[in-house]
Amino acid sequence: MISVGIDAGSATTKAVLVKDDGSTVHSIRATAFDFVSAAEKAYEDVLGIAEIDRKEVDHVYSTGYGRNSIKFADRSISEITAHAKGVHHIYPDVEGIIDIGGQDSKVISVNNGKVTDFLMNDKCAAGTGKFLEYTARALEVPMEELGKIALDSRSPASISSMCTVFAESEVISLRAKGYSKEDIAAGLVESIARRVAVMARQIGLKRNVAFVGGVAKNAAIKAALEKELGISLYVLPEPQITGALGAALHGSN
Amino acid sequence: MHSFKTLENLKNSYSERIRQIADERKSGKKLVGTFCLFVPDEIIFAAGADRVILCGGKNDTVSIAEQYLPRNICPLIKSSFGSIINDGCSGIKSCSHFSMVDMIVAENTCDGKKKMYELLEDYVPTYVIDLPQRPDTSEALKYFISELEKFRDAMEQLTGYKITDEQLKEEIRFSNETRRLFHRLYELRKRDPSPISGTDVLKILQKQYFLSPDKLKEYLQMLINEVENIEPGQVHKPRIMISGCPMPGGNTKVTEIIESKGGVIVAEESCTGTRSFWDLVDESKEPMIALAERYIKIPCSCMSPNNRRIDNILELAREFRVDGVIYYTLQFCHGYNIEKQKVQKALKEAGIPMLSIETDYSDSDVEQIGLRADAFMEMIS
Repeated sequence: MISVGIDAGSATTKAVLVKDDGSTVHSIRATAFDFVSAAEKAYEDVLGIAEIDRKEVDHVYSTGYGRNSIKFADRSISEITAHAKGVHHIYPDVEGIIDIGGQDSKVISVNNGKVTDFLMNDKCAAGTGKFLEYTARALEVPMEELGKIALDSRSPASISSMCTVFAESEVISLRAKGYSKEDIAAGLVESIARRVAVMARQIGLKRNVAFVGGVAKNAAIKAALEKELGISLYVLPEPQITGALGAALHGSN
Repeated sequence: MHSFKTLENLKNSYSERIRQIADERKSGKKLVGTFCLFVPDEIIFAAGADRVILCGGKNDTVSIAEQYLPRNICPLIKSSFGSIINDGCSGIKSCSHFSMVDMIVAENTCDGKKKMYELLEDYVPTYVIDLPQRPDTSEALKYFISELEKFRDAMEQLTGYKITDEQLKEEIRFSNETRRLFHRLYELRKRDPSPISGTDVLKILQKQYFLSPDKLKEYLQMLINEVENIEPGQVHKPRIMISGCPMPGGNTKVTEIIESKGGVIVAEESCTGTRSFWDLVDESKEPMIALAERYIKIPCSCMSPNNRRIDNILELAREFRVDGVIYYTLQFCHGYNIEKQKVQKALKEAGIPMLSIETDYSDSDVEQIGLRADAFMEMIS
């Protein structure tokens, strides 16, 4: 059976194709304005990489923010269920998931691949990729660099605003006070980690926790989360695709 | 789901009721506006007045209230206040009944409402019943009886009629009959699958605060007859209980989302739910004492400690065989938001999954609530 999962996220669209033998190919694209065309392109990407014709695909399952707009999908599932399935496939002993995406963050408690509890923050940008994007801008460093710079800090600045707009002005006033880029960056990273760790503790994530979503590529945030929670986190080489993988696997079951 | 004629008819009940109130007022009958279940209707009706509940569920009057009230208080308080003080200048319309009341009877429950009532006095004569907030002491009951006695006097003054014990007893009997009808409706929801959606039940729960008591009874009876006689469904859906804040008239956002995601709401532990009818008033006792005893036990989160509510939630969850609980709170409702911790713990121990939804009256978070509801249904199915 060949199945495809499409994760239509707010910032990026991910597609994973699972072949008969269980091997996978994937594609990640910027979502831009049009959810549907991003999903269509990501779908074509994986078909092309795998050299498989559309007709050979048995199931397409969608997930993510735009999951209901993808008409070529047979069904949609929530990204919470999808991440649990996808991560469990890679780490069978996983008991918790932290997902920091473009516009929300989630913590999920998992037992044998099934969701047992979850919490989401999607009311504001605090603790999300957007927070990083805006505050990196105030710091005048590319977002990808923010993590690297933060790792060089020896005394992180304290950022107390959870609100992204206020944090941005806090960054500017710290700059005015003469704090180094490194220390401000580290302060931002710690502030996200604190915020997300509170959610993780609320649902009791204690061990075998995987860190997924675009922000998981940021080594400084991973380190700060690990310090905050006192555990080491599983991070996949490609942490953005677990939702799409889970959707594909959901289709093949 | 089945579409019920009674609910179709209910749609016309608003204009009918407005006409009735207008006629009543012309003939000198007083209309009392209340907010909260702690105010015993029986005393109002026994004084020969009519009553409507003024809890607002509409989003558009919130902005009117925000000229006077802080933004970060609950939408129910803002919507109610905005609906009452609205002069129509801004082009936003309040429902007509808000401007028809002769007197408001308020109660000291949460801080937000207490302080809002103080402002309301400038617009409508407002009488406040004080509530003891540690309900399980004998002093509390004594005090509440004295507060209800004072309220009885105030009602007599408003209408000019003497409230006799006989009349009170008659009103108690009548209200108990309505409560028993609600019990019968809820009894039908224990069937699996439930023959009626939670959104449909909510519509009549909301209307109970607006209709005249005899009209409500008529509608309830009609609905029960209809529900009793429909073919039982076949497909099991996840059975959901709502627990938490009220969903006043005009607001069915959350129940609609949950039921569009495949669940069916079978009970509501809420002021638009069991809290309005679960306990009856003891008809064998002296009426003022019986009223005080019944009303002081309403498990609102303004009471402390409020273990009665936790016990009630567990009892309802078992009785209605629920698969999951949606803990519903309005933004900035500190009482219910904080009490969530205790409810969550008790439900966890009982092995019942819970999803928490905090929202307001706007539609801005419909997608986000939808995602949570999707994931919750997938989790409990």
